[in-house]
Amino acid sequence: MTRSLLARFAASSALVAALVAPAGADVPEAISKEILPGYQAFAAASETLAEAARQDCSAEALRGPWNAAFDAWMGVAHLRLGPVEDQGRALAIAFWPDPKATGARKQREMIEAADPALLEPGALAQASVAARGLFGLGRLLHGEMENGVPYVCDLRRALAEDMARMAGEIVTDWGPYSELLLSAGAEGNTTFLNPEEARQALFTQLISGLEFNADQRLGRPLGSFDKPRPERAEALPAQRARADVALSLAALKALAGALAQGVGDIPKTEAAFDRALAQADWPEDPAFAAVADPGGRLKVEILQQSIRLARDAALEELGGLLGVSAGFNAADGD
Amino acid sequence: MQRRAFLASLAAATALPRASWADAGSPAYLAAAADGAGAYFLCGISAAGARLFSLPMPGRGHAATAHPTRPEAVAFARRPGTFALVIDCASGTTSARLTPPEGRQFNGHGAYSADGAVLFTSEVVAEGSEGRVGVWDAARGYQRIGEFASGGIGPHEILRLPGSETLVIANGGIQTDPSDRTPLNLDRMRPNLAYLSPEGALLEQVELPELWQNSIRHLGIASDGLVAFAMQWQGDLMEPVPLLGLHRRGEAPILCDPAPEEIFAMKGYAGSVAFAPGGQEVAITSPRGGRVQAFSRKGDPLWSVARADICGLGPCTEGGFVATDGQGLVARLDQGALHPLERDSLSWDNHLVSLL
Repeated sequence: MTRSLLARFAASSALVAALVAPAGADVPEAISKEILPGYQAFAAASETLAEAARQDCSAEALRGPWNAAFDAWMGVAHLRLGPVEDQGRALAIAFWPDPKATGARKQREMIEAADPALLEPGALAQASVAARGLFGLGRLLHGEMENGVPYVCDLRRALAEDMARMAGEIVTDWGPYSELLLSAGAEGNTTFLNPEEARQALFTQLISGLEFNADQRLGRPLGSFDKPRPERAEALPAQRARADVALSLAALKALAGALAQGVGDIPKTEAAFDRALAQADWPEDPAFAAVADPGGRLKVEILQQSIRLARDAALEELGGLLGVSAGFNAADGD
Repeated sequence: MQRRAFLASLAAATALPRASWADAGSPAYLAAAADGAGAYFLCGISAAGARLFSLPMPGRGHAATAHPTRPEAVAFARRPGTFALVIDCASGTTSARLTPPEGRQFNGHGAYSADGAVLFTSEVVAEGSEGRVGVWDAARGYQRIGEFASGGIGPHEILRLPGSETLVIANGGIQTDPSDRTPLNLDRMRPNLAYLSPEGALLEQVELPELWQNSIRHLGIASDGLVAFAMQWQGDLMEPVPLLGLHRRGEAPILCDPAPEEIFAMKGYAGSVAFAPGGQEVAITSPRGGRVQAFSRKGDPLWSVARADICGLGPCTEGGFVATDGQGLVARLDQGALHPLERDSLSWDNHLVSLL
């Protein structure tokens, strides 16, 4: 993380500290204890990755820092509101799932064109989101696109810089965005018209985050009983899909705890999270290859069910405490 | 219709000077709503976003359609609908209750003929979801006087083209279980946009063969007859598809692709669609994505607004749009900015029906 970025983050932290109510309840707690530190960690890991690429852009040198940045992203990947939604950043950082393999196609085009202009600082910001970020860089570190072509090495460096830039911008922009969440209901705040809306917004991140783990991270490789799709596991060549679920669940459990802070206890939700976390821990099956085998498949299905039970528990218990629910229209389409 | 209600409406129609929409407080919009205790209402909303009246409904509503001259609206139940209520918005009373014939279900939307003498309702045959348009005599107590095929499976919104008696209907293509809303045919659905004469002749039909899993469900119409159709994607949610199409009779449809950073923002779901006054801008809402996306009438993306659970959408007299959400907000949307007008204690349901 650069000095200026640290300075900006310190400024936004101070601002948040000033706005936090003394009781430190729900929304301020979630922002100061989970969201801002999570983005700070991701920005730091992305900067470490970019710095490593400046020194040595070989695949061997970058796999470690890339995995560390991916780990850090799992701490915040469920947050789909605010700065990460601006300029398509969330997609540019993690373009997955990608059912039509758009990322690989765009990336092959980039490498074939070998346009030096794309390597200039800031140029990748205009490129396809599908070819960038953790998944774009990951393809150049594992498997068929990992090769000795100098342009690929330079592209790794440029992709790492692009992601570090976005991570830094998200940290910076969360300063004013925190203010919007914390000043919900104040005159002129048209984003959050009262404190319930701010609580609702963060609660929604928790619920959709759980659903993403169950429906996408597990649901895609599970496919159907007749047609399991282990090749659809997240970041397959890096063999980290199961670790991603565990990291995401841990971050979501912490977010649930922060939202309950000062409001009440959520024993059922916490127990449901612990059960899912215990089931996620199966090092012998790092990328859900087990879905193709009936016994292994059952274990993955049980994990999926446990994640859905954690969602149900959070909806009932935490939703009740916070006085929020799934959206009236969003939950029931027509 | 109950005999007593029939006599009452007959008496009202003959004995009193004819009421107009001014007697209902001149609402600019109608919307279904719910309170926190599980009660449902049909409400009138002023141009400034204030609730003018709220009439109790026996169950969750969906959309409504307003009589062209009388202060009378038909509020439709959420599908599979077993009732529609003809509501006298001036007196706040129910003047008729429409019940679909045996084996038919209302699908949440309806439209009047230009003179208001006939009401057309979007319906399905309960078994198989084949589409029907129910025909009701709105001049004489809402007797059912006929029905004809809608031109597809699972029709949803129906509108009448301005200055014409031609109906346009969104045949969503989804067959559902007759007892609930479970979809049964997502792997072989065939939605279409159909134009029908008021006698039921199929005049024109538009299909999108490459987007056959994109259920065409909601409609908006500009005064020159340009039809906007909003879709709900039943395929892989990670596959970005356009959710808005524009069609003029006799021409090829235009599909509206969002800006690249917006391709997943709607979560594959558009809940309502409307043109702004003048018909130069058209927008779709997604309560699932918490997003409104606006496009030009040529199909180019213009702006977007983020707002949780937003769904109801209509034109704003001052330009741009008015939108409603599940948190009770009525807001004006203009050039990518959201201006809150009123915040109600009720949750606004899917649709905002413009009376403008």
